[in-house]
Amino acid sequence: MNIGNRKDIPTTNEYKSRLADLYEEYYDKVARYVYVHIGNKEEAEDIAGEVFLKALKSLESYRERGVPMQGWLFRIAHNLTVDYVRKMDKRRTMPADSVELVGNDNPVDTAQKNIEFEQVTEAMKQLTTEQREVINLRFLGGLTSKEAADILGKSDGAVREMQRAAIEKLRGIMGVEK
Amino acid sequence: MTEDFDRILDECIDRINRGDNVADCLSDYPAYSERLGPLLQSMNDVQKTYAFTPSADTKRAARQKFYAAMGKQGRVPPVLSFFRAIPRAAAWATIAVLVVAIVSILVIQPIFNPPMLVPSPDGNFAFLISDERNDIGDFESLNVTISGVGLQAAGSLKRFEFTPETKTVDLTELQGEQSQEIWRGNAPAGQYSQVYIYVSEVKGKLESTGQIVDVKLPSSKLHLSMSFEVTDDTVTRFTFDITVVATGSNGKYILKPQIGDSGARQDQSLLE
Repeated sequence: MNIGNRKDIPTTNEYKSRLADLYEEYYDKVARYVYVHIGNKEEAEDIAGEVFLKALKSLESYRERGVPMQGWLFRIAHNLTVDYVRKMDKRRTMPADSVELVGNDNPVDTAQKNIEFEQVTEAMKQLTTEQREVINLRFLGGLTSKEAADILGKSDGAVREMQRAAIEKLRGIMGVEK
Repeated sequence: MTEDFDRILDECIDRINRGDNVADCLSDYPAYSERLGPLLQSMNDVQKTYAFTPSADTKRAARQKFYAAMGKQGRVPPVLSFFRAIPRAAAWATIAVLVVAIVSILVIQPIFNPPMLVPSPDGNFAFLISDERNDIGDFESLNVTISGVGLQAAGSLKRFEFTPETKTVDLTELQGEQSQEIWRGNAPAGQYSQVYIYVSEVKGKLESTGQIVDVKLPSSKLHLSMSFEVTDDTVTRFTFDITVVATGSNGKYILKPQIGDSGARQDQSLLE
Protein backbone atom coordinates (compact mmCIF):
# COMPACT_ATOMS: atom_id res chain seq x y z
CA MET A 1 0.00 0.00 0.00
CA ASN A 2 1.10 3.55 -0.49
CA ILE A 3 1.47 5.84 2.43
CA GLY A 4 0.45 9.33 1.53
CA ASN A 5 0.11 12.55 3.43
CA ARG A 6 3.10 12.06 5.76
CA LYS A 7 2.62 14.69 8.40
CA ASP A 8 4.77 17.77 8.10
CA ILE A 9 8.33 18.49 7.20
CA PRO A 10 10.57 18.05 10.25
CA THR A 11 11.84 21.20 11.91
CA THR A 12 15.54 22.00 12.28
CA ASN A 13 15.35 20.93 15.93
CA GLU A 14 13.89 17.59 14.89
CA TYR A 15 16.74 17.21 12.41
CA LYS A 16 19.18 17.99 15.24
CA SER A 17 17.68 15.25 17.37
CA ARG A 18 17.92 12.86 14.47
CA LEU A 19 21.54 13.81 13.86
CA ALA A 20 22.30 13.20 17.54
CA ASP A 21 20.61 9.79 17.23
CA LEU A 22 22.78 8.97 14.23
CA TYR A 23 25.99 10.00 15.97
CA GLU A 24 26.45 6.79 17.98
CA GLU A 25 25.49 4.49 15.14
CA TYR A 26 27.39 6.18 12.35
CA TYR A 27 30.53 7.73 13.82
CA ASP A 28 32.50 4.44 13.50
CA LYS A 29 31.13 3.74 10.03
CA VAL A 30 32.02 7.20 8.79
CA ALA A 31 35.52 6.83 10.27
CA ARG A 32 36.00 3.50 8.45
CA TYR A 33 34.67 5.01 5.23
CA VAL A 34 37.22 7.81 5.45
CA TYR A 35 39.98 5.40 6.47
CA VAL A 36 39.63 3.44 3.23
CA HIS A 37 40.26 6.65 1.31
CA ILE A 38 43.08 8.14 3.31
CA GLY A 39 44.77 5.20 5.05
CA ASN A 40 45.31 6.95 8.35
CA LYS A 41 43.19 5.94 11.33
CA GLU A 42 43.80 9.01 13.50
CA GLU A 43 43.03 11.39 10.65
CA ALA A 44 39.98 9.30 9.73
CA GLU A 45 38.67 9.65 13.30
CA ASP A 46 39.20 13.41 13.22
CA ILE A 47 37.46 13.73 9.88
CA ALA A 48 34.53 11.62 11.18
CA GLY A 49 34.14 14.14 14.01
CA GLU A 50 34.30 16.98 11.48
CA VAL A 51 31.56 15.33 9.43
CA PHE A 52 29.08 15.62 12.29
CA LEU A 53 30.11 19.19 13.08
CA LYS A 54 29.73 20.18 9.45
CA ALA A 55 26.36 18.41 9.28
CA LEU A 56 25.22 20.34 12.34
CA LYS A 57 26.32 23.65 10.81
CA SER A 58 24.59 22.85 7.54
CA LEU A 59 21.34 21.56 9.02
CA GLU A 60 19.49 24.71 8.02
CA SER A 61 20.07 23.79 4.40
CA TYR A 62 19.29 20.09 4.84
CA ARG A 63 15.95 18.92 3.72
CA GLU A 64 15.17 15.31 3.01
CA ARG A 65 14.97 15.32 -0.75
CA GLY A 66 15.25 11.62 -1.41
CA VAL A 67 18.52 11.32 0.51
CA PRO A 68 18.17 10.09 4.08
CA MET A 69 20.28 11.81 6.69
CA GLN A 70 22.81 8.99 6.94
CA GLY A 71 23.36 9.23 3.18
CA TRP A 72 23.86 12.96 3.54
CA LEU A 73 26.51 12.31 6.22
CA PHE A 74 28.47 10.16 3.79
CA ARG A 75 28.23 12.88 1.15
CA ILE A 76 29.80 15.28 3.63
CA ALA A 77 32.38 12.63 4.53
CA HIS A 78 33.20 12.21 0.86
CA ASN A 79 33.67 15.97 0.35
CA LEU A 80 35.84 16.35 3.44
CA THR A 81 37.91 13.35 2.38
CA VAL A 82 38.45 14.80 -1.08
CA ASP A 83 39.49 18.11 0.50
CA TYR A 84 41.87 16.29 2.81
CA VAL A 85 43.43 14.24 0.02
CA ARG A 86 43.87 17.33 -2.12
CA LYS A 87 45.48 19.09 0.79
CA MET A 88 47.80 16.24 1.47
CA ASP A 89 48.49 15.84 -2.22
CA LYS A 90 47.83 12.12 -2.02
CA ARG A 91 45.85 9.75 -4.17
CA ARG A 92 42.24 9.13 -3.15
CA THR A 93 42.78 5.41 -2.68
CA MET A 94 44.73 4.13 0.23
CA PRO A 95 48.48 4.14 -0.15
CA ALA A 96 49.19 0.70 1.29
CA ASP A 97 52.82 1.41 2.03
CA SER A 98 51.89 4.27 4.31
CA VAL A 99 49.54 2.26 6.48
CA GLU A 100 50.59 0.87 9.80
CA LEU A 101 48.61 -1.92 11.33
CA VAL A 102 48.62 -1.68 15.06
CA GLY A 103 47.50 -3.71 18.04
CA ASN A 104 49.25 -7.00 17.39
CA ASP A 105 52.50 -7.95 19.08
CA ASN A 106 53.06 -11.11 17.11
CA PRO A 107 55.36 -10.17 14.19
CA VAL A 108 54.23 -13.15 12.10
CA ASP A 109 50.58 -12.19 12.46
CA THR A 110 51.39 -8.58 11.74
CA ALA A 111 53.34 -9.50 8.62
CA GLN A 112 50.49 -11.74 7.44
CA LYS A 113 47.97 -8.98 8.05
CA ASN A 114 50.15 -6.52 6.17
CA ILE A 115 50.28 -8.85 3.20
CA GLU A 116 46.50 -9.32 3.25
CA PHE A 117 46.02 -5.60 3.62
CA GLU A 118 48.21 -4.86 0.64
CA GLN A 119 46.42 -7.49 -1.45
CA VAL A 120 42.98 -6.10 -0.69
CA THR A 121 44.13 -2.52 -1.14
CA GLU A 122 45.77 -3.35 -4.45
CA ALA A 123 42.57 -5.07 -5.58
CA MET A 124 40.48 -2.06 -4.49
CA LYS A 125 42.72 0.24 -6.53
CA GLN A 126 41.88 -1.69 -9.65
CA LEU A 127 38.18 -0.97 -9.34
CA THR A 128 36.68 2.05 -11.04
CA THR A 129 36.11 5.06 -8.81
CA GLU A 130 32.37 4.40 -8.77
CA GLN A 131 32.77 0.69 -8.03
CA ARG A 132 35.11 1.52 -5.17
CA GLU A 133 32.63 4.02 -3.80
CA VAL A 134 29.80 1.47 -3.93
CA ILE A 135 31.93 -1.10 -2.08
CA ASN A 136 32.96 1.49 0.46
CA LEU A 137 29.42 2.73 1.13
CA ARG A 138 27.94 -0.77 1.27
CA PHE A 139 30.66 -2.70 3.10
CA LEU A 140 32.23 -0.07 5.33
CA GLY A 141 29.46 2.51 5.61
CA GLY A 142 26.78 -0.17 6.00
CA LEU A 143 24.35 1.74 3.77
CA THR A 144 21.67 -0.02 1.75
CA SER A 145 21.99 -0.10 -2.03
CA LYS A 146 19.10 2.38 -2.20
CA GLU A 147 20.94 4.81 0.06
CA ALA A 148 24.15 4.34 -1.91
CA ALA A 149 22.18 4.91 -5.12
CA ASP A 150 20.80 8.19 -3.75
CA ILE A 151 24.30 9.40 -2.94
CA LEU A 152 25.75 8.38 -6.30
CA GLY A 153 22.78 9.63 -8.31
CA LYS A 154 22.19 6.16 -9.78
CA SER A 155 19.26 3.78 -9.81
CA ASP A 156 19.10 0.93 -7.27
CA GLY A 157 19.49 -1.55 -10.11
CA ALA A 158 22.60 0.19 -11.42
CA VAL A 159 24.16 0.09 -7.96
CA ARG A 160 23.36 -3.59 -7.51
CA GLU A 161 24.90 -4.35 -10.90
CA MET A 162 27.98 -2.24 -10.13
CA GLN A 163 28.29 -3.93 -6.75
CA ARG A 164 28.23 -7.42 -8.26
CA ALA A 165 30.73 -6.49 -10.95
CA ALA A 166 33.00 -4.90 -8.35
CA ILE A 167 32.97 -7.92 -6.04
CA GLU A 168 33.57 -10.29 -8.95
CA LYS A 169 36.54 -8.19 -9.94
CA LEU A 170 37.84 -8.16 -6.37
CA ARG A 171 37.40 -11.89 -6.10
CA GLY A 172 39.30 -12.39 -9.35
CA ILE A 173 42.18 -10.21 -8.21
CA MET A 174 42.32 -11.52 -4.65
CA GLY A 175 42.18 -15.08 -5.90
CA VAL A 176 39.25 -16.45 -3.95
CA GLU A 177 38.55 -19.82 -5.49
CA LYS A 178 35.25 -20.38 -7.27
CA MET B 1 18.60 -14.11 -14.21
CA THR B 2 21.53 -11.75 -13.55
CA GLU B 3 19.08 -9.26 -12.11
CA ASP B 4 17.76 -11.97 -9.74
CA PHE B 5 21.29 -12.79 -8.71
CA ASP B 6 22.10 -9.12 -8.15
CA ARG B 7 19.07 -8.83 -5.86
CA ILE B 8 19.98 -11.95 -3.90
CA LEU B 9 23.58 -10.82 -3.52
CA ASP B 10 22.33 -7.41 -2.41
CA GLU B 11 19.99 -8.97 0.16
CA CYS B 12 22.80 -11.17 1.54
CA ILE B 13 25.07 -8.13 1.88
CA ASP B 14 22.33 -6.33 3.80
CA ARG B 15 21.87 -9.34 6.04
CA ILE B 16 25.59 -9.66 6.73
CA ASN B 17 25.73 -5.93 7.48
CA ARG B 18 22.96 -6.52 10.03
CA GLY B 19 24.89 -9.37 11.68
CA ASP B 20 23.75 -12.50 9.82
CA ASN B 21 26.41 -14.93 8.71
CA VAL B 22 27.38 -16.06 5.23
CA ALA B 23 26.32 -19.67 5.83
CA ASP B 24 22.72 -18.71 6.68
CA CYS B 25 22.42 -16.69 3.52
CA LEU B 26 23.87 -19.46 1.39
CA SER B 27 21.50 -22.01 2.90
CA ASP B 28 18.56 -19.82 1.92
CA TYR B 29 19.76 -19.74 -1.67
CA PRO B 30 21.26 -23.18 -2.38
CA ALA B 31 20.77 -22.75 -6.13
CA TYR B 32 23.07 -19.74 -6.04
CA SER B 33 25.43 -20.75 -3.27
CA GLU B 34 28.29 -21.78 -5.55
CA ARG B 35 28.37 -18.34 -7.11
CA LEU B 36 27.37 -16.41 -4.00
CA GLY B 37 29.87 -17.99 -1.60
CA PRO B 38 33.10 -16.61 -3.06
CA LEU B 39 31.58 -13.16 -3.50
CA LEU B 40 30.41 -12.99 0.10
CA GLN B 41 33.82 -14.28 1.19
CA SER B 42 35.42 -11.37 -0.71
CA MET B 43 33.07 -9.01 1.09
CA ASN B 44 34.21 -10.48 4.41
CA ASP B 45 37.85 -10.03 3.40
CA VAL B 46 37.33 -6.36 2.56
CA GLN B 47 35.42 -5.71 5.78
CA LYS B 48 38.06 -7.49 7.86
CA THR B 49 40.87 -5.61 6.16
CA TYR B 50 39.50 -2.17 6.87
CA ALA B 51 37.79 -2.95 10.17
CA PHE B 52 38.96 -0.74 12.94
CA THR B 53 37.28 0.65 15.99
CA PRO B 54 37.95 4.33 16.59
CA SER B 55 39.59 4.97 19.92
CA ALA B 56 37.20 5.62 22.78
CA ASP B 57 39.09 8.80 23.74
CA THR B 58 38.89 10.33 20.28
CA LYS B 59 35.25 9.42 19.97
CA ARG B 60 34.48 10.92 23.37
CA ALA B 61 36.31 14.13 22.50
CA ALA B 62 34.50 14.34 19.17
CA ARG B 63 31.16 13.74 20.91
CA GLN B 64 31.86 16.54 23.39
CA LYS B 65 32.71 18.91 20.54
CA PHE B 66 29.55 17.91 18.72
CA TYR B 67 27.28 18.51 21.72
CA ALA B 68 29.09 21.74 22.55
CA ALA B 69 28.44 22.95 19.01
CA MET B 70 24.83 21.88 19.33
CA GLY B 71 24.61 23.79 22.61
CA LYS B 72 26.00 26.93 20.97
CA GLN B 73 23.24 26.70 18.43
CA GLY B 74 20.73 27.08 21.22
CA ARG B 75 19.88 23.53 21.99
CA VAL B 76 21.99 22.40 24.91
CA PRO B 77 21.42 18.72 25.54
CA PRO B 78 19.57 18.50 28.85
CA VAL B 79 22.20 16.37 30.57
CA LEU B 80 25.05 18.76 29.73
CA SER B 81 23.22 21.91 30.77
CA PHE B 82 22.24 20.27 34.06
CA PHE B 83 25.82 19.36 34.97
CA ARG B 84 27.11 22.80 34.12
CA ALA B 85 24.82 24.24 36.77
CA ILE B 86 25.98 22.18 39.77
CA PRO B 87 29.35 21.81 41.57
CA ARG B 88 31.70 19.00 40.54
CA ALA B 89 31.35 16.85 43.73
CA ALA B 90 27.61 17.01 43.57
CA ALA B 91 27.80 16.19 39.91
CA TRP B 92 29.72 12.94 40.55
CA ALA B 93 27.28 11.90 43.26
CA THR B 94 24.43 12.65 40.94
CA ILE B 95 26.12 10.69 38.16
CA ALA B 96 26.35 7.61 40.41
CA VAL B 97 22.68 7.82 41.33
CA LEU B 98 21.72 8.48 37.74
CA VAL B 99 23.74 5.54 36.43
CA VAL B 100 21.94 3.16 38.79
CA ALA B 101 18.60 4.71 37.96
CA ILE B 102 19.24 4.74 34.24
CA VAL B 103 20.46 1.14 34.18
CA SER B 104 17.43 -0.07 36.10
CA ILE B 105 14.83 2.13 34.44
CA LEU B 106 16.10 2.45 30.90
CA VAL B 107 18.10 -0.69 30.35
CA ILE B 108 16.98 -3.57 32.55
CA GLN B 109 13.30 -2.77 32.80
CA PRO B 110 12.55 -1.92 29.16
CA ILE B 111 14.80 -4.56 27.64
CA PHE B 112 13.76 -7.52 29.73
CA ASN B 113 10.29 -6.39 30.57
CA PRO B 114 9.16 -3.61 28.24
CA PRO B 115 5.88 -1.92 29.20
CA MET B 116 2.88 -3.58 27.58
CA LEU B 117 0.50 -1.17 25.90
CA VAL B 118 -3.21 -1.50 26.55
CA PRO B 119 -5.66 -1.95 23.69
CA SER B 120 -8.52 0.49 23.35
CA PRO B 121 -10.96 1.15 20.49
CA ASP B 122 -10.45 4.89 21.05
CA GLY B 123 -6.65 4.66 21.24
CA ASN B 124 -4.27 7.02 19.51
CA PHE B 125 -2.31 4.28 17.74
CA ALA B 126 -3.44 1.65 15.27
CA PHE B 127 -1.20 -1.06 13.86
CA LEU B 128 -1.94 -2.56 10.46
CA ILE B 129 -0.46 -5.30 8.32
CA SER B 130 -0.30 -5.19 4.54
CA ASP B 131 1.44 -7.20 1.85
CA GLU B 132 3.40 -5.93 -1.11
CA ARG B 133 2.93 -8.17 -4.16
CA ASN B 134 6.07 -10.13 -4.92
CA ASP B 135 5.60 -13.88 -4.92
CA ILE B 136 2.34 -13.89 -2.96
CA GLY B 137 0.63 -15.11 -6.15
CA ASP B 138 2.22 -18.53 -5.54
CA PHE B 139 0.07 -18.97 -2.44
CA GLU B 140 -3.53 -19.92 -1.90
CA SER B 141 -3.13 -18.79 1.69
CA LEU B 142 -0.21 -17.52 3.74
CA ASN B 143 -1.00 -17.30 7.43
CA VAL B 144 1.40 -15.32 9.57
CA THR B 145 1.01 -15.57 13.34
CA ILE B 146 2.27 -12.51 15.18
CA SER B 147 2.92 -13.01 18.87
CA GLY B 148 3.93 -9.45 19.68
CA VAL B 149 4.85 -6.05 18.34
CA GLY B 150 7.56 -3.76 19.72
CA LEU B 151 7.98 -0.01 19.26
CA GLN B 152 11.41 1.51 19.90
CA ALA B 153 11.43 5.14 21.06
CA ALA B 154 13.87 7.36 19.17
CA GLY B 155 17.03 8.49 20.94
CA SER B 156 16.53 6.30 24.02
CA LEU B 157 16.38 2.68 25.09
CA LYS B 158 12.66 2.84 25.85
CA ARG B 159 10.66 0.17 24.14
CA PHE B 160 6.95 -0.60 24.29
CA GLU B 161 5.25 -3.79 23.30
CA PHE B 162 1.75 -5.00 22.69
CA THR B 163 0.04 -8.25 21.84
CA PRO B 164 -2.09 -8.01 18.71
CA GLU B 165 -5.80 -8.49 19.17
CA THR B 166 -5.81 -10.28 15.81
CA LYS B 167 -2.87 -12.64 15.93
CA THR B 168 -3.05 -14.47 12.60
CA VAL B 169 -3.35 -12.70 9.27
CA ASP B 170 -3.59 -14.20 5.81
CA LEU B 171 -1.26 -12.17 3.61
CA THR B 172 -3.01 -13.30 0.42
CA GLU B 173 -5.94 -11.15 1.53
CA LEU B 174 -3.80 -8.10 2.22
CA GLN B 175 -2.17 -7.46 -1.13
CA GLY B 176 -1.36 -4.03 -2.49
CA GLU B 177 -3.67 -1.40 -1.06
CA GLN B 178 -5.37 -3.88 1.30
CA SER B 179 -4.43 -3.81 4.94
CA GLN B 180 -5.79 -5.18 8.21
CA GLU B 181 -5.76 -3.49 11.57
CA ILE B 182 -4.50 -5.97 14.16
CA TRP B 183 -4.31 -3.69 17.20
CA ARG B 184 -5.50 -0.33 18.37
CA GLY B 185 -4.71 1.22 21.69
CA ASN B 186 -2.87 3.92 23.51
CA ALA B 187 0.81 4.49 22.81
CA PRO B 188 2.91 7.17 24.53
CA ALA B 189 3.24 10.31 22.42
CA GLY B 190 6.71 10.85 21.01
CA GLN B 191 9.17 10.00 18.29
CA TYR B 192 9.79 6.36 17.42
CA SER B 193 12.59 4.95 15.34
CA GLN B 194 12.03 1.22 14.98
CA VAL B 195 9.25 -1.36 14.84
CA TYR B 196 9.58 -5.09 15.50
CA ILE B 197 7.12 -7.84 14.75
CA TYR B 198 7.65 -11.12 16.57
CA VAL B 199 6.48 -13.92 14.32
CA SER B 200 5.77 -17.28 15.90
CA GLU B 201 4.58 -19.21 12.84
CA VAL B 202 4.21 -18.84 9.08
CA LYS B 203 2.23 -21.44 7.15
CA GLY B 204 1.72 -21.16 3.44
CA LYS B 205 -0.47 -23.25 1.14
CA LEU B 206 0.81 -23.29 -2.43
CA GLU B 207 -1.69 -22.42 -5.13
CA SER B 208 -0.23 -24.87 -7.66
CA THR B 209 0.01 -28.05 -5.57
CA GLY B 210 -1.93 -27.36 -2.39
CA GLN B 211 1.21 -28.31 -0.49
CA ILE B 212 1.73 -26.69 2.92
CA VAL B 213 5.17 -25.09 3.18
CA ASP B 214 7.09 -23.41 5.95
CA VAL B 215 8.15 -19.91 5.09
CA LYS B 216 11.41 -18.80 6.67
CA LEU B 217 12.26 -15.53 8.33
CA PRO B 218 15.76 -14.07 8.33
CA SER B 219 15.39 -14.12 12.13
CA SER B 220 12.55 -14.65 14.61
CA LYS B 221 11.40 -11.10 14.15
CA LEU B 222 10.81 -8.68 11.31
CA HIS B 223 12.40 -5.33 11.91
CA LEU B 224 11.88 -1.92 10.33
CA SER B 225 14.04 1.14 11.03
CA MET B 226 11.73 4.04 10.35
CA SER B 227 11.09 7.35 12.08
CA PHE B 228 7.54 8.22 12.95
CA GLU B 229 5.67 10.22 15.51
CA VAL B 230 2.77 9.37 17.78
CA THR B 231 0.74 12.25 19.15
CA ASP B 232 -1.94 12.41 21.82
CA ASP B 233 -4.56 14.17 19.75
CA THR B 234 -4.48 12.24 16.49
CA VAL B 235 -4.70 8.60 15.50
CA THR B 236 -1.40 7.38 14.14
CA ARG B 237 -1.94 4.44 11.84
CA PHE B 238 1.24 2.49 11.29
CA THR B 239 1.21 0.01 8.43
CA PHE B 240 3.86 -2.71 8.51
CA ASP B 241 4.18 -4.11 5.03
CA ILE B 242 5.36 -7.69 4.74
CA THR B 243 6.31 -9.40 1.52
CA VAL B 244 7.06 -12.99 0.62
CA VAL B 245 9.87 -13.71 -1.81
CA ALA B 246 10.91 -16.98 -3.48
CA THR B 247 14.55 -17.81 -2.78
CA GLY B 248 15.54 -19.04 -6.24
CA SER B 249 14.15 -22.17 -7.83
CA ASN B 250 14.30 -24.45 -4.79
CA GLY B 251 10.69 -23.91 -3.76
CA LYS B 252 11.66 -22.03 -0.60
CA TYR B 253 10.28 -18.69 0.45
CA ILE B 254 11.26 -16.07 2.95
CA LEU B 255 9.28 -13.32 4.58
CA LYS B 256 10.72 -9.80 4.62
CA PRO B 257 9.63 -6.37 5.79
CA GLN B 258 8.98 -4.01 2.90
CA ILE B 259 10.22 -0.62 4.03
CA GLY B 260 9.09 1.30 0.94
CA ASP B 261 5.43 0.51 1.54
CA SER B 262 5.48 0.72 5.32
CA GLY B 263 4.99 3.82 7.36
CA ALA B 264 2.81 5.93 9.59
CA ARG B 265 0.20 8.49 8.86
CA GLN B 266 -1.90 10.66 11.11
CA ASP B 267 -5.50 10.05 10.22
CA GLN B 268 -7.95 12.14 12.09
CA SER B 269 -8.08 14.16 15.23
CA LEU B 270 -9.24 12.34 18.33
CA LEU B 271 -10.90 15.58 19.34
CA GLU B 272 -13.17 15.65 16.27
